[in-house]
Amino acid sequence: MRRGSSAPMSARAGRVAIYATLALAILVALFPFWWMIDTSLKRPVDIFSGVALWPQHVTGSNYHRLFASYHFGSFLLNSVVVVAVSVTASLLIGTLAAYGLARFRLRFGIDRLALYGVLLVRMLPGILLVIPLYIVLAKWGLLNTRLGLILIYAGLNTSFVVWMMQSFLEDIPRDIEEAAMVDGDSRLTALRRVVLPLAAPGLIATAIFAVIATYNDFIIALTLTSTPSAQTVPVGVSTLIGKIQIEWGPMAAAGVVGAMPIVLFALVVQRHFVRGLTLGAVK
Amino acid sequence: MAVAEPAVAEDAGRAWRLRGAATPYLLLAPALLALAAVSLYPIFYGIRASFHRYRYGIDMGSAGTQNYVNVYHDPVFWQAVKTTAKFVVIAVSIETLLGLALALLVARELRFASWIRVSLILPMTIAPVVVGVIWRLLFASDIGIVNPLFSWFGLAQPNVLAHGTSAFLGLVAVDTWEWTPLIFLILLAGLHSMPQDPLEAAQVDGAGRVQAFFHHTLPLLKPVLLVAIVLRTIDAVGTFDQVFVLTKGGPGTSTQLISIYSYNTAFLFTQYGQAMAMLIALLACLLLLMAAAVRFMRRTSEAVA
Repeated sequence: MRRGSSAPMSARAGRVAIYATLALAILVALFPFWWMIDTSLKRPVDIFSGVALWPQHVTGSNYHRLFASYHFGSFLLNSVVVVAVSVTASLLIGTLAAYGLARFRLRFGIDRLALYGVLLVRMLPGILLVIPLYIVLAKWGLLNTRLGLILIYAGLNTSFVVWMMQSFLEDIPRDIEEAAMVDGDSRLTALRRVVLPLAAPGLIATAIFAVIATYNDFIIALTLTSTPSAQTVPVGVSTLIGKIQIEWGPMAAAGVVGAMPIVLFALVVQRHFVRGLTLGAVK
Repeated sequence: MAVAEPAVAEDAGRAWRLRGAATPYLLLAPALLALAAVSLYPIFYGIRASFHRYRYGIDMGSAGTQNYVNVYHDPVFWQAVKTTAKFVVIAVSIETLLGLALALLVARELRFASWIRVSLILPMTIAPVVVGVIWRLLFASDIGIVNPLFSWFGLAQPNVLAHGTSAFLGLVAVDTWEWTPLIFLILLAGLHSMPQDPLEAAQVDGAGRVQAFFHHTLPLLKPVLLVAIVLRTIDAVGTFDQVFVLTKGGPGTSTQLISIYSYNTAFLFTQYGQAMAMLIALLACLLLLMAAAVRFMRRTSEAVA
Protein backbone atom coordinates (compact mmCIF):
# COMPACT_ATOMS: atom_id res chain seq x y z
CA MET A 1 0.00 0.00 0.00
CA ARG A 2 1.55 3.31 -1.00
CA ARG A 3 1.51 6.10 1.47
CA GLY A 4 0.31 9.59 0.74
CA SER A 5 2.72 12.50 1.13
CA SER A 6 2.32 14.04 4.57
CA ALA A 7 4.72 16.32 6.38
CA PRO A 8 8.12 14.55 6.37
CA MET A 9 8.72 14.93 10.10
CA SER A 10 5.47 13.40 11.32
CA ALA A 11 5.66 10.76 8.59
CA ARG A 12 9.06 9.76 9.89
CA ALA A 13 7.87 9.67 13.50
CA GLY A 14 4.94 7.55 12.33
CA ARG A 15 7.25 5.09 10.62
CA VAL A 16 9.43 4.79 13.70
CA ALA A 17 6.33 4.10 15.78
CA ILE A 18 5.20 1.42 13.33
CA TYR A 19 8.55 -0.36 13.35
CA ALA A 20 8.79 -0.11 17.12
CA THR A 21 5.35 -1.69 17.52
CA LEU A 22 6.22 -4.45 15.07
CA ALA A 23 9.51 -5.09 16.85
CA LEU A 24 7.61 -5.53 20.10
CA ALA A 25 5.11 -7.89 18.45
CA ILE A 26 7.93 -9.96 16.98
CA LEU A 27 9.65 -10.10 20.35
CA VAL A 28 6.46 -11.43 21.95
CA ALA A 29 6.04 -13.96 19.13
CA LEU A 30 9.62 -15.22 19.14
CA PHE A 31 10.94 -14.89 22.69
CA PRO A 32 9.03 -17.96 23.98
CA PHE A 33 10.80 -20.05 21.33
CA TRP A 34 14.14 -18.74 22.52
CA TRP A 35 13.32 -19.55 26.13
CA MET A 36 12.66 -23.16 25.15
CA ILE A 37 15.87 -23.42 23.12
CA ASP A 38 17.78 -21.71 25.93
CA THR A 39 16.45 -24.16 28.52
CA SER A 40 17.14 -27.15 26.31
CA LEU A 41 20.82 -26.24 26.07
CA LYS A 42 21.36 -25.70 29.80
CA ARG A 43 22.69 -28.16 32.34
CA PRO A 44 20.17 -29.11 35.07
CA VAL A 45 22.12 -27.05 37.63
CA ASP A 46 21.96 -23.97 35.44
CA ILE A 47 18.25 -24.39 34.71
CA PHE A 48 17.54 -23.90 38.40
CA SER A 49 20.05 -21.14 39.03
CA GLY A 50 17.88 -18.17 38.13
CA VAL A 51 16.97 -16.34 34.94
CA ALA A 52 19.67 -16.54 32.27
CA LEU A 53 18.79 -15.49 28.75
CA TRP A 54 21.78 -17.36 27.42
CA PRO A 55 23.02 -20.83 28.49
CA GLN A 56 26.11 -20.43 30.70
CA HIS A 57 27.47 -23.85 29.72
CA VAL A 58 26.04 -25.15 26.48
CA THR A 59 25.34 -28.87 26.64
CA GLY A 60 23.82 -31.41 24.29
CA SER A 61 23.08 -33.85 27.09
CA ASN A 62 19.33 -33.12 27.12
CA TYR A 63 19.11 -34.04 23.45
CA HIS A 64 21.27 -37.08 23.97
CA ARG A 65 18.97 -38.36 26.71
CA LEU A 66 15.94 -37.75 24.51
CA PHE A 67 17.18 -40.27 21.99
CA ALA A 68 18.99 -42.57 24.41
CA SER A 69 16.27 -43.06 27.00
CA TYR A 70 13.03 -41.46 25.76
CA HIS A 71 12.53 -43.23 22.39
CA PHE A 72 12.67 -40.07 20.27
CA GLY A 73 14.22 -42.00 17.41
CA SER A 74 11.09 -44.14 17.16
CA PHE A 75 8.75 -41.16 17.52
CA LEU A 76 10.47 -39.33 14.68
CA LEU A 77 10.48 -42.40 12.45
CA ASN A 78 6.78 -43.01 13.12
CA SER A 79 5.96 -39.39 12.35
CA VAL A 80 7.91 -39.41 9.10
CA VAL A 81 6.33 -42.64 7.89
CA VAL A 82 2.81 -41.66 8.88
CA VAL A 83 3.07 -38.15 7.41
CA ALA A 84 4.70 -39.25 4.15
CA VAL A 85 2.29 -42.07 3.35
CA SER A 86 -0.93 -40.39 4.47
CA VAL A 87 -0.19 -37.05 2.79
CA THR A 88 0.76 -38.73 -0.49
CA ALA A 89 -2.39 -40.84 -0.46
CA SER A 90 -4.64 -37.87 0.33
CA LEU A 91 -3.03 -35.71 -2.37
CA LEU A 92 -3.66 -38.44 -4.90
CA ILE A 93 -7.31 -39.15 -4.23
CA GLY A 94 -8.07 -35.59 -3.18
CA THR A 95 -6.70 -34.05 -6.37
CA LEU A 96 -8.70 -36.46 -8.54
CA ALA A 97 -11.87 -35.49 -6.72
CA ALA A 98 -11.01 -31.80 -6.85
CA TYR A 99 -10.51 -32.10 -10.59
CA GLY A 100 -13.89 -33.77 -10.93
CA LEU A 101 -15.51 -30.97 -8.96
CA ALA A 102 -13.71 -28.22 -10.86
CA ARG A 103 -14.61 -29.54 -14.30
CA PHE A 104 -18.02 -31.22 -14.09
CA ARG A 105 -21.53 -30.36 -13.08
CA LEU A 106 -23.06 -33.34 -11.32
CA ARG A 107 -26.68 -34.39 -10.96
CA PHE A 108 -28.75 -33.15 -8.02
CA GLY A 109 -26.06 -30.62 -7.11
CA ILE A 110 -23.89 -33.42 -5.73
CA ASP A 111 -20.84 -31.36 -6.62
CA ARG A 112 -21.80 -28.41 -4.42
CA LEU A 113 -22.91 -30.75 -1.66
CA ALA A 114 -19.61 -32.63 -1.82
CA LEU A 115 -17.60 -29.43 -1.76
CA TYR A 116 -19.27 -27.96 1.30
CA GLY A 117 -19.47 -31.34 3.00
CA VAL A 118 -15.73 -31.58 2.59
CA LEU A 119 -15.32 -28.19 4.23
CA LEU A 120 -17.50 -29.24 7.16
CA VAL A 121 -15.35 -32.32 7.79
CA ARG A 122 -12.31 -30.07 8.08
CA MET A 123 -13.99 -28.07 10.83
CA LEU A 124 -15.05 -31.00 13.03
CA PRO A 125 -13.26 -30.94 16.38
CA GLY A 126 -10.88 -33.86 16.80
CA ILE A 127 -12.29 -34.92 20.15
CA LEU A 128 -15.63 -35.64 18.49
CA LEU A 129 -14.08 -38.16 16.10
CA VAL A 130 -11.60 -39.95 18.33
CA ILE A 131 -14.00 -41.77 20.64
CA PRO A 132 -15.85 -43.63 17.87
CA LEU A 133 -12.60 -44.08 15.92
CA TYR A 134 -11.06 -45.63 19.02
CA ILE A 135 -13.92 -48.11 19.39
CA VAL A 136 -13.85 -48.99 15.69
CA LEU A 137 -10.08 -49.35 15.42
CA ALA A 138 -10.11 -51.55 18.52
CA LYS A 139 -12.56 -53.86 16.73
CA TRP A 140 -10.31 -54.11 13.68
CA GLY A 141 -7.13 -54.60 15.70
CA LEU A 142 -5.65 -51.39 14.32
CA LEU A 143 -5.08 -49.64 17.64
CA ASN A 144 -1.46 -48.71 18.27
CA THR A 145 -0.40 -49.28 14.65
CA ARG A 146 1.04 -46.89 12.10
CA LEU A 147 -1.41 -48.28 9.56
CA GLY A 148 -4.37 -47.18 11.66
CA LEU A 149 -2.99 -43.64 11.91
CA ILE A 150 -2.17 -43.54 8.20
CA LEU A 151 -5.69 -44.55 7.19
CA ILE A 152 -7.29 -41.94 9.41
CA TYR A 153 -4.98 -39.06 8.51
CA ALA A 154 -5.23 -39.88 4.82
CA GLY A 155 -9.01 -39.68 5.04
CA LEU A 156 -9.09 -36.48 7.07
CA ASN A 157 -6.49 -34.69 4.93
CA THR A 158 -8.49 -35.52 1.83
CA SER A 159 -11.09 -32.97 2.93
CA PHE A 160 -8.56 -30.20 2.91
CA VAL A 161 -6.95 -31.32 -0.35
CA VAL A 162 -10.29 -31.39 -2.18
CA TRP A 163 -11.30 -27.95 -0.91
CA MET A 164 -8.01 -26.25 -1.79
CA MET A 165 -7.26 -28.04 -5.06
CA GLN A 166 -10.74 -27.46 -6.38
CA SER A 167 -10.22 -23.70 -6.23
CA PHE A 168 -6.75 -23.92 -7.77
CA LEU A 169 -7.87 -26.19 -10.61
CA GLU A 170 -10.85 -23.98 -11.37
CA ASP A 171 -8.44 -21.15 -12.15
CA ILE A 172 -6.78 -23.14 -14.92
CA PRO A 173 -8.38 -22.60 -18.33
CA ARG A 174 -10.03 -25.61 -19.91
CA ASP A 175 -8.71 -24.86 -23.41
CA ILE A 176 -5.28 -26.12 -22.47
CA GLU A 177 -6.29 -29.61 -21.50
CA GLU A 178 -8.87 -29.75 -24.29
CA ALA A 179 -6.04 -29.10 -26.73
CA ALA A 180 -4.06 -31.92 -25.17
CA MET A 181 -7.05 -34.23 -25.44
CA VAL A 182 -7.46 -33.35 -29.11
CA ASP A 183 -3.84 -34.41 -29.51
CA GLY A 184 -4.84 -37.83 -28.23
CA ASP A 185 -4.28 -37.68 -24.49
CA SER A 186 -6.82 -39.36 -22.25
CA ARG A 187 -8.34 -37.14 -19.58
CA LEU A 188 -6.08 -38.47 -16.85
CA THR A 189 -2.97 -38.09 -19.00
CA ALA A 190 -3.98 -34.52 -19.77
CA LEU A 191 -4.48 -33.91 -16.07
CA ARG A 192 -1.05 -35.26 -15.26
CA ARG A 193 0.87 -33.79 -18.20
CA VAL A 194 -0.78 -30.40 -18.63
CA VAL A 195 -2.99 -29.39 -15.73
CA LEU A 196 -0.99 -30.44 -12.70
CA PRO A 197 2.23 -28.67 -13.72
CA LEU A 198 0.20 -25.47 -14.01
CA ALA A 199 -1.39 -26.12 -10.63
CA ALA A 200 1.98 -26.87 -9.01
CA PRO A 201 2.03 -23.83 -6.69
CA GLY A 202 -1.41 -24.79 -5.41
CA LEU A 203 -0.39 -28.41 -5.03
CA ILE A 204 2.66 -27.36 -3.04
CA ALA A 205 0.65 -25.08 -0.75
CA THR A 206 -1.82 -27.90 -0.18
CA ALA A 207 0.91 -30.43 0.51
CA ILE A 208 2.55 -28.07 2.98
CA PHE A 209 -0.63 -27.63 4.91
CA ALA A 210 -1.32 -31.35 4.94
CA VAL A 211 2.19 -32.11 6.20
CA ILE A 212 1.93 -29.55 8.98
CA ALA A 213 -1.56 -30.58 10.07
CA THR A 214 -0.58 -34.26 10.16
CA TYR A 215 2.78 -33.83 11.84
CA ASN A 216 1.28 -31.52 14.49
CA ASP A 217 -1.82 -33.55 15.26
CA PHE A 218 -2.01 -34.71 18.82
CA ILE A 219 -5.42 -35.91 19.91
CA ILE A 220 -5.84 -38.63 17.28
CA ALA A 221 -2.38 -40.06 17.82
CA LEU A 222 -2.75 -39.70 21.59
CA THR A 223 -5.89 -41.79 21.78
CA LEU A 224 -5.15 -44.35 19.08
CA THR A 225 -1.55 -45.24 20.00
CA SER A 226 -0.02 -46.31 23.28
CA THR A 227 3.61 -47.40 22.84
CA PRO A 228 6.71 -45.98 21.10
CA SER A 229 6.20 -48.50 18.29
CA ALA A 230 3.45 -46.29 16.84
CA GLN A 231 3.43 -43.04 18.84
CA THR A 232 4.28 -39.88 16.92
CA VAL A 233 6.43 -36.92 17.99
CA PRO A 234 3.71 -34.80 19.66
CA VAL A 235 2.58 -37.78 21.72
CA GLY A 236 6.21 -38.48 22.57
CA VAL A 237 6.59 -34.90 23.75
CA SER A 238 3.55 -35.23 25.97
CA THR A 239 4.88 -38.44 27.59
CA LEU A 240 7.68 -36.33 29.07
CA ILE A 241 5.15 -34.16 30.85
CA GLY A 242 3.25 -36.93 32.56
CA LYS A 243 6.18 -37.78 34.82
CA ILE A 244 5.83 -36.99 38.49
CA GLN A 245 9.17 -35.23 38.62
CA ILE A 246 9.28 -33.02 35.55
CA GLU A 247 12.65 -33.07 33.84
CA TRP A 248 12.75 -29.61 32.36
CA GLY A 249 15.85 -30.06 30.23
CA PRO A 250 14.69 -33.08 28.22
CA MET A 251 11.19 -31.60 28.05
CA ALA A 252 12.54 -28.40 26.48
CA ALA A 253 14.69 -30.43 24.12
CA ALA A 254 11.63 -32.49 23.17
CA GLY A 255 9.77 -29.28 22.37
CA VAL A 256 12.63 -28.11 20.16
CA VAL A 257 12.73 -31.43 18.30
CA GLY A 258 8.94 -31.31 17.92
CA ALA A 259 8.96 -27.77 16.53
CA MET A 260 12.13 -27.87 14.45
CA PRO A 261 10.93 -29.63 11.28
CA ILE A 262 7.93 -27.33 10.93
CA VAL A 263 9.82 -24.12 11.68
CA LEU A 264 12.51 -25.00 9.12
CA PHE A 265 9.79 -25.91 6.68
CA ALA A 266 8.06 -22.57 7.29
CA LEU A 267 11.23 -20.61 6.69
CA VAL A 268 12.08 -22.47 3.49
CA VAL A 269 8.69 -22.35 1.84
CA GLN A 270 7.22 -19.19 3.34
CA ARG A 271 5.81 -17.98 0.03
CA HIS A 272 3.55 -20.97 -0.46
CA PHE A 273 2.65 -21.02 3.17
CA VAL A 274 0.03 -18.35 3.58
CA ARG A 275 -2.79 -19.70 1.50
CA GLY A 276 -2.49 -23.10 3.07
CA LEU A 277 -2.56 -21.73 6.59
CA THR A 278 -5.66 -19.67 5.98
CA LEU A 279 -7.54 -22.79 4.86
CA GLY A 280 -8.17 -21.14 1.52
CA ALA A 281 -10.53 -18.76 3.33
CA VAL A 282 -9.28 -15.98 1.14
CA LYS A 283 -8.03 -16.42 -2.38
CA MET B 1 -6.23 -46.84 -14.42
CA ALA B 2 -7.08 -44.55 -17.29
CA VAL B 3 -10.73 -43.80 -17.81
CA ALA B 4 -11.61 -44.36 -21.47
CA GLU B 5 -13.02 -41.17 -22.81
CA PRO B 6 -13.50 -39.78 -26.33
CA ALA B 7 -11.16 -36.85 -26.75
CA VAL B 8 -13.52 -34.38 -28.27
CA ALA B 9 -13.52 -30.70 -27.57
CA GLU B 10 -16.72 -29.08 -28.66
CA ASP B 11 -18.07 -25.97 -27.05
CA ALA B 12 -17.70 -26.24 -23.30
CA GLY B 13 -20.79 -26.38 -21.13
CA ARG B 14 -23.30 -28.99 -22.27
CA ALA B 15 -20.73 -31.17 -23.96
CA TRP B 16 -18.86 -31.50 -20.67
CA ARG B 17 -21.98 -32.60 -18.96
CA LEU B 18 -22.95 -35.27 -21.45
CA ARG B 19 -19.74 -37.02 -22.39
CA GLY B 20 -18.34 -39.78 -20.21
CA ALA B 21 -21.14 -39.40 -17.71
CA ALA B 22 -19.43 -41.75 -15.27
CA THR B 23 -16.07 -39.96 -15.26
CA PRO B 24 -16.76 -37.35 -12.59
CA TYR B 25 -18.30 -39.93 -10.29
CA LEU B 26 -15.28 -42.18 -10.67
CA LEU B 27 -13.01 -39.24 -9.91
CA LEU B 28 -14.97 -38.37 -6.78
CA ALA B 29 -15.65 -41.83 -5.41
CA PRO B 30 -12.34 -42.64 -3.69
CA ALA B 31 -12.17 -39.30 -1.90
CA LEU B 32 -15.77 -39.35 -0.78
CA LEU B 33 -15.47 -42.94 0.45
CA ALA B 34 -12.33 -42.11 2.41
CA LEU B 35 -13.97 -39.04 3.91
CA ALA B 36 -17.13 -40.88 4.82
CA ALA B 37 -15.06 -43.60 6.49
CA VAL B 38 -13.26 -41.18 8.80
CA SER B 39 -16.02 -38.64 9.43
CA LEU B 40 -19.58 -39.68 8.63
CA TYR B 41 -19.09 -43.20 9.90
CA PRO B 42 -17.56 -42.14 13.24
CA ILE B 43 -20.26 -39.52 13.72
CA PHE B 44 -23.07 -42.02 13.13
CA TYR B 45 -21.28 -44.57 15.24
CA GLY B 46 -20.86 -41.90 17.89
CA ILE B 47 -24.55 -41.02 17.78
CA ARG B 48 -25.36 -44.69 18.21
CA ALA B 49 -22.88 -44.92 21.09
CA SER B 50 -24.53 -41.96 22.77
CA PHE B 51 -27.69 -44.09 23.10
CA HIS B 52 -25.81 -47.07 24.54
CA ARG B 53 -24.56 -47.86 28.00
CA TYR B 54 -20.88 -48.69 28.41
CA ARG B 55 -19.31 -50.39 31.37
CA TYR B 56 -15.52 -50.61 31.59
CA GLY B 57 -15.56 -49.75 27.92
CA ILE B 58 -17.86 -52.62 26.96
CA ASP B 59 -21.13 -52.01 25.16
CA MET B 60 -23.94 -53.10 27.53
CA GLY B 61 -26.77 -52.46 25.09
CA SER B 62 -29.26 -49.71 24.52
CA ALA B 63 -29.68 -47.05 27.18
CA GLY B 64 -32.40 -45.00 25.53
CA THR B 65 -31.87 -41.34 26.25
CA GLN B 66 -30.34 -42.01 29.65
CA ASN B 67 -26.91 -40.61 28.71
CA TYR B 68 -28.44 -37.35 27.58
CA VAL B 69 -30.52 -37.12 30.75
CA ASN B 70 -27.39 -37.74 32.84
CA VAL B 71 -25.44 -35.10 30.97
CA TYR B 72 -28.29 -32.63 31.34
CA HIS B 73 -28.31 -33.14 35.11
CA ASP B 74 -24.53 -33.08 35.46
CA PRO B 75 -23.34 -29.81 37.06
CA VAL B 76 -19.74 -30.51 36.03
CA PHE B 77 -20.84 -30.61 32.39
CA TRP B 78 -22.57 -27.24 32.66
CA GLN B 79 -19.51 -25.81 34.34
CA ALA B 80 -17.41 -27.08 31.43
CA VAL B 81 -19.86 -25.45 29.01
CA LYS B 82 -19.52 -22.16 30.86
CA THR B 83 -15.73 -22.38 30.99
CA THR B 84 -15.57 -23.20 27.29
CA ALA B 85 -17.89 -20.32 26.36
CA LYS B 86 -15.92 -17.86 28.48
CA PHE B 87 -12.64 -19.10 27.05
CA VAL B 88 -13.82 -18.86 23.44
CA VAL B 89 -15.44 -15.43 23.73
CA ILE B 90 -12.56 -13.79 25.58
CA ALA B 91 -9.77 -15.38 23.53
CA VAL B 92 -11.37 -14.83 20.12
CA SER B 93 -12.23 -11.20 20.94
CA ILE B 94 -8.68 -10.37 21.94
CA GLU B 95 -7.27 -12.25 18.96
CA THR B 96 -9.57 -10.40 16.56
CA LEU B 97 -8.59 -6.95 17.85
CA LEU B 98 -4.86 -7.72 17.94
CA GLY B 99 -4.95 -9.52 14.60
CA LEU B 100 -6.74 -6.60 12.98
CA ALA B 101 -4.28 -4.08 14.43
CA LEU B 102 -1.30 -6.12 13.25
CA ALA B 103 -2.76 -6.63 9.78
CA LEU B 104 -3.33 -2.88 9.39
CA LEU B 105 0.26 -2.22 10.50
CA VAL B 106 1.79 -4.74 8.12
CA ALA B 107 -0.43 -4.02 5.09
CA ARG B 108 1.88 -1.36 3.71
CA GLU B 109 5.28 -1.20 2.16
CA LEU B 110 7.73 -2.30 4.82
CA ARG B 111 11.35 -3.29 4.82
CA PHE B 112 11.82 -7.00 5.52
CA ALA B 113 8.07 -7.49 4.97
CA SER B 114 8.26 -11.23 4.39
CA TRP B 115 10.53 -11.78 7.40
CA ILE B 116 8.20 -9.76 9.59
CA ARG B 117 5.26 -11.81 8.38
CA VAL B 118 6.89 -15.19 8.88
CA SER B 119 8.14 -14.22 12.37
CA LEU B 120 4.67 -13.15 13.40
CA ILE B 121 3.00 -16.36 12.20
CA LEU B 122 5.55 -18.80 13.60
CA PRO B 123 3.52 -19.50 16.78
CA MET B 124 0.59 -20.93 14.80
CA THR B 125 2.72 -23.26 12.71
CA ILE B 126 4.14 -25.44 15.46
CA ALA B 127 2.32 -28.29 17.14
CA PRO B 128 -0.11 -27.14 19.86
CA VAL B 129 1.60 -29.68 22.12
CA VAL B 130 4.86 -27.81 21.70
CA VAL B 131 3.03 -24.56 22.42
CA GLY B 132 1.99 -26.20 25.67
CA VAL B 133 5.59 -27.19 26.44
CA ILE B 134 6.87 -23.69 25.69
CA TRP B 135 4.39 -22.11 28.07
CA ARG B 136 4.99 -24.73 30.75
CA LEU B 137 8.60 -23.56 30.64
CA LEU B 138 7.61 -19.88 30.80
CA PHE B 139 4.98 -20.29 33.53
CA ALA B 140 6.95 -22.71 35.74
CA SER B 141 7.27 -21.29 39.25
CA ASP B 142 10.83 -22.59 39.73
CA ILE B 143 12.50 -22.30 36.32
CA GLY B 144 10.13 -20.03 34.37
CA ILE B 145 10.35 -16.39 33.44
CA VAL B 146 6.82 -15.11 34.05
CA ASN B 147 7.29 -14.98 37.82
CA PRO B 148 10.65 -13.12 37.67
CA LEU B 149 9.11 -10.75 35.12
CA PHE B 150 6.30 -9.86 37.51
CA SER B 151 8.77 -9.29 40.34
CA TRP B 152 10.85 -7.10 38.07
CA PHE B 153 7.80 -4.84 37.59
CA GLY B 154 7.31 -4.86 41.37
CA LEU B 155 4.24 -7.10 41.24
CA ALA B 156 3.41 -10.21 43.26
CA GLN B 157 4.54 -13.45 41.62
CA PRO B 158 1.44 -14.99 40.06
CA ASN B 159 2.38 -18.72 39.92
CA VAL B 160 0.07 -18.78 36.92
CA LEU B 161 -0.84 -22.46 36.76
CA ALA B 162 -1.37 -22.89 40.50
CA HIS B 163 -4.60 -20.91 40.89
CA GLY B 164 -7.92 -21.24 39.10
CA THR B 165 -8.37 -17.72 37.78
CA SER B 166 -4.77 -17.15 36.77
CA ALA B 167 -4.58 -20.59 35.12
CA PHE B 168 -7.66 -19.73 33.07
CA LEU B 169 -6.23 -16.35 32.08
CA GLY B 170 -2.92 -18.05 31.35
CA LEU B 171 -4.67 -20.36 28.88
CA VAL B 172 -6.33 -17.36 27.24
CA ALA B 173 -2.89 -15.73 26.91
CA VAL B 174 -1.45 -18.90 25.38
CA ASP B 175 -4.32 -19.17 22.91
CA THR B 176 -3.88 -15.50 22.00
CA TRP B 177 -0.17 -16.00 21.42
CA GLU B 178 -0.79 -19.04 19.24
CA TRP B 179 -3.80 -17.95 17.19
CA THR B 180 -3.70 -14.16 16.75
CA PRO B 181 -1.44 -14.94 13.77
CA LEU B 182 -4.28 -16.79 12.01
CA ILE B 183 -6.63 -13.81 12.20
CA PHE B 184 -3.75 -11.56 11.21
CA LEU B 185 -2.98 -13.68 8.13
CA ILE B 186 -6.57 -13.90 6.93
CA LEU B 187 -7.12 -10.16 7.38
CA LEU B 188 -3.81 -9.34 5.72
CA ALA B 189 -4.84 -11.37 2.70
CA GLY B 190 -8.18 -9.53 2.75
CA LEU B 191 -6.48 -6.13 2.92
CA HIS B 192 -4.14 -6.99 0.06
CA SER B 193 -7.02 -7.96 -2.21
CA MET B 194 -8.96 -4.74 -1.51
CA PRO B 195 -9.29 -1.98 -4.09
CA GLN B 196 -6.70 0.67 -3.22
CA ASP B 197 -8.19 3.85 -4.71
CA PRO B 198 -10.64 4.89 -2.01
CA LEU B 199 -7.95 4.34 0.61
CA GLU B 200 -5.31 6.33 -1.17
CA ALA B 201 -7.75 9.14 -1.81
CA ALA B 202 -8.72 9.13 1.83
CA GLN B 203 -5.20 9.05 3.20
CA VAL B 204 -4.78 12.40 4.83
CA ASP B 205 -4.10 13.44 8.40
CA GLY B 206 -4.58 11.31 11.51
CA ALA B 207 -8.27 12.07 12.10
CA GLY B 208 -8.95 11.51 8.40
CA ARG B 209 -7.23 8.15 8.61
CA VAL B 210 -9.40 6.97 11.48
CA GLN B 211 -12.48 8.03 9.54
CA ALA B 212 -11.18 6.33 6.41
CA PHE B 213 -10.77 3.13 8.40
CA PHE B 214 -14.36 3.11 9.69
CA HIS B 215 -15.93 4.33 6.45
CA HIS B 216 -13.91 2.46 3.83
CA THR B 217 -11.61 -0.23 5.14
CA LEU B 218 -13.82 -1.83 7.76
CA PRO B 219 -16.95 -2.23 5.59
CA LEU B 220 -14.84 -3.70 2.77
CA LEU B 221 -13.07 -5.99 5.19
CA LYS B 222 -16.22 -7.17 6.92
CA PRO B 223 -16.82 -10.38 4.92
CA VAL B 224 -13.23 -11.54 5.49
CA LEU B 225 -13.41 -10.52 9.12
CA LEU B 226 -16.51 -12.67 9.57
CA VAL B 227 -14.79 -15.68 8.02
CA ALA B 228 -11.81 -15.22 10.31
CA ILE B 229 -13.93 -14.90 13.44
CA VAL B 230 -16.20 -17.86 12.68
CA LEU B 231 -13.31 -20.16 11.70
CA ARG B 232 -11.37 -19.24 14.80
CA THR B 233 -14.42 -19.67 17.01
CA ILE B 234 -15.07 -23.17 15.70
CA ASP B 235 -11.44 -24.14 16.28
CA ALA B 236 -11.37 -22.57 19.72
CA VAL B 237 -14.39 -24.59 20.85
CA GLY B 238 -12.39 -27.76 20.17
CA THR B 239 -9.23 -26.58 21.99
CA PHE B 240 -7.63 -29.59 23.65
CA ASP B 241 -3.89 -30.11 23.18
CA GLN B 242 -2.50 -27.04 24.96
CA VAL B 243 -4.88 -27.46 27.89
CA PHE B 244 -4.01 -31.15 28.15
CA VAL B 245 -0.32 -30.26 28.36
CA LEU B 246 -0.63 -27.21 30.60
CA THR B 247 -3.35 -27.90 33.18
CA LYS B 248 -5.31 -31.07 32.27
CA GLY B 249 -8.35 -28.99 33.26
CA GLY B 250 -7.12 -28.01 36.72
CA PRO B 251 -6.49 -26.75 39.26
CA GLY B 252 -9.79 -28.27 40.36
CA THR B 253 -12.04 -27.86 37.36
CA SER B 254 -11.15 -24.24 36.67
CA THR B 255 -9.83 -24.85 33.15
CA GLN B 256 -11.87 -27.92 32.28
CA LEU B 257 -13.17 -27.30 28.78
CA ILE B 258 -15.81 -29.57 27.23
CA SER B 259 -13.08 -31.26 25.17
CA ILE B 260 -11.09 -32.15 28.30
CA TYR B 261 -14.14 -33.26 30.27
CA SER B 262 -15.41 -35.51 27.49
CA TYR B 263 -11.92 -36.93 26.98
CA ASN B 264 -11.70 -37.80 30.67
CA THR B 265 -15.22 -39.22 30.66
CA ALA B 266 -14.34 -41.49 27.75
CA PHE B 267 -10.75 -42.47 28.40
CA LEU B 268 -10.37 -42.24 32.18
CA PHE B 269 -13.85 -43.41 33.19
CA THR B 270 -14.56 -45.42 30.00
CA GLN B 271 -18.06 -43.91 29.80
CA TYR B 272 -18.08 -43.72 26.01
CA GLY B 273 -21.85 -43.30 25.81
CA GLN B 274 -21.96 -40.37 28.17
CA ALA B 275 -18.95 -38.70 26.54
CA MET B 276 -20.55 -39.04 23.11
CA ALA B 277 -23.82 -37.57 24.40
CA MET B 278 -21.92 -34.43 25.44
CA LEU B 279 -20.11 -34.23 22.13
CA ILE B 280 -23.22 -34.78 20.02
CA ALA B 281 -24.91 -31.96 21.92
CA LEU B 282 -21.85 -29.83 21.25
CA LEU B 283 -21.90 -30.78 17.56
CA ALA B 284 -25.51 -29.66 17.29
CA CYS B 285 -24.47 -26.20 18.48
CA LEU B 286 -21.36 -26.16 16.31
CA LEU B 287 -23.29 -27.07 13.17
CA LEU B 288 -24.98 -23.67 13.23
CA LEU B 289 -21.59 -21.98 13.35
CA MET B 290 -20.23 -24.26 10.64
CA ALA B 291 -23.14 -23.51 8.35
CA ALA B 292 -22.44 -19.82 8.88
CA ALA B 293 -18.76 -20.39 8.10
CA VAL B 294 -19.56 -22.19 4.86
CA ARG B 295 -21.89 -19.39 3.77
CA PHE B 296 -19.40 -16.65 4.58
CA MET B 297 -16.58 -18.49 2.87
CA ARG B 298 -18.60 -19.02 -0.27
CA ARG B 299 -19.39 -15.33 -0.36
CA THR B 300 -15.83 -14.10 0.22
CA SER B 301 -14.25 -16.47 -2.26
CA GLU B 302 -16.75 -15.27 -4.83
CA ALA B 303 -16.29 -11.62 -3.90
CA VAL B 304 -12.53 -11.72 -3.59
CA ALA B 305 -11.82 -13.91 -6.60
